[in-house]
Amino acid sequence: MATRLFSIFLGCGALLGALSAAPALAQSNDTLASPDVVSDSDINHNNIEFGAFVGQVSIEDFSSGAVYGLTLSYHITENLYLEAQGGVAEAGETSFEVLSGGAPLLTEDERDYQYYDLAVGYNLNGEIFFTDGTTFNTDFYVQIGGGSTDFAGDNRFTLSLGTGYRVLLTDRIALRLDVRDRIFSTELTGEQKDTHNLQYTLAASVFF
Amino acid sequence: MKLILACLLILLSATALAAPVSVTVVEPYADVHTGPASEYPVFHAIEKGERISVLAAHTGWYKIETARGIQGWVSASELSRTIVSQDNTFVIAEADFDSFQERRFEVTVSAGRLENTNALSVSAAWMMTANIAAEAGVSQALGDFSENRLWLVRLQHTPFPDWRVSPYWSLGAGQIQTTPTATLVQSGAESRTNDLLEVGIGARLYLVKQFSMRLEYRRLTALTERDDLEELNHWQLGFSVFF
Repeated sequence: MATRLFSIFLGCGALLGALSAAPALAQSNDTLASPDVVSDSDINHNNIEFGAFVGQVSIEDFSSGAVYGLTLSYHITENLYLEAQGGVAEAGETSFEVLSGGAPLLTEDERDYQYYDLAVGYNLNGEIFFTDGTTFNTDFYVQIGGGSTDFAGDNRFTLSLGTGYRVLLTDRIALRLDVRDRIFSTELTGEQKDTHNLQYTLAASVFF
Repeated sequence: MKLILACLLILLSATALAAPVSVTVVEPYADVHTGPASEYPVFHAIEKGERISVLAAHTGWYKIETARGIQGWVSASELSRTIVSQDNTFVIAEADFDSFQERRFEVTVSAGRLENTNALSVSAAWMMTANIAAEAGVSQALGDFSENRLWLVRLQHTPFPDWRVSPYWSLGAGQIQTTPTATLVQSGAESRTNDLLEVGIGARLYLVKQFSMRLEYRRLTALTERDDLEELNHWQLGFSVFF
């Protein structure tokens, strides 16, 4: 499943790359015809961000564990962006399972926690001053999205609320700290309830 | 992990090759910001007659370097008034309603309701003419009792593409895969796949830059092996980006 998620992301990345390159190709004929005309498409537009993250997720009732995955974002304006994210984690045991020592609630396969989110976000731009001469551009961002969580043998519709902080080390390379609450409804512990699954992750991303 | 690093390196190298573009400022001056957003402070100004290099762009902002090596960001609207030589302006293709009508590709993300479940969809469209588009999409609808995955290809006809709010209708075909939830599987229910036909109507609204939104209703007919056909209602609201 992790490999499948990964290949889906690579596919998306390749598609977006091809799409962003398409206008440049179309323009090159015009440029050849009159070499003095320079247009927008001769300049690199770095609006797509691709990142990999690792972190911790707390799966409600099922302990916490490492989470990792990939993120693909498209920055539309200096503030607005769209983002797709996929991640995998493994759930632990409930307190009940640990204390009673009895039969496990879930099989090993059912403890795999896999998800994707599609979100829209808003950047609040800023700067951080490390020293007098060293400054980095930053974004504090909030986002809301929806997606699916594959856990305990079922896919569940998931609401995703997130916030984060991005530090641009260069114009192209960034570090991101994300906090995200992924909310889905489940009846695993007997009654139907909304579970809050909080995760915090650290990501490295590149703009292209 | 090595594969990810290799991909990142390829992406970096593939886009880092374009040479900077040299332009001359014709406006009295233009503000240079420390970052690619209007919130960043102005720390420099470029003057009329000055020769600058345009290095890169991020959303509506351009990174420039002056002859003296000062680097900063200038907004697209200010830079669009610079020129390359006496007769040739530096063309900045700011997306607007006109370019929306001439779009070739569009990617849409939608959320909505399929019968009584939440559904998410992603689709990509190719505009064959101003009126006719071919679109392929996948949807996932997650309910309490089952999970539905749909894929559909459709032809979409927009009779009045020059309207700001423009109606369209579509015909499509695909498949639907229904998987019962784990508790139902234990009681014997099985996953099944059926062919699917679609008739849809909707309206598209151009918002800003490369953005538009659309509201649509689709009537889906699943061709089941039972005597009755299964009719599904799908409402969704989507946001599109065009290229």
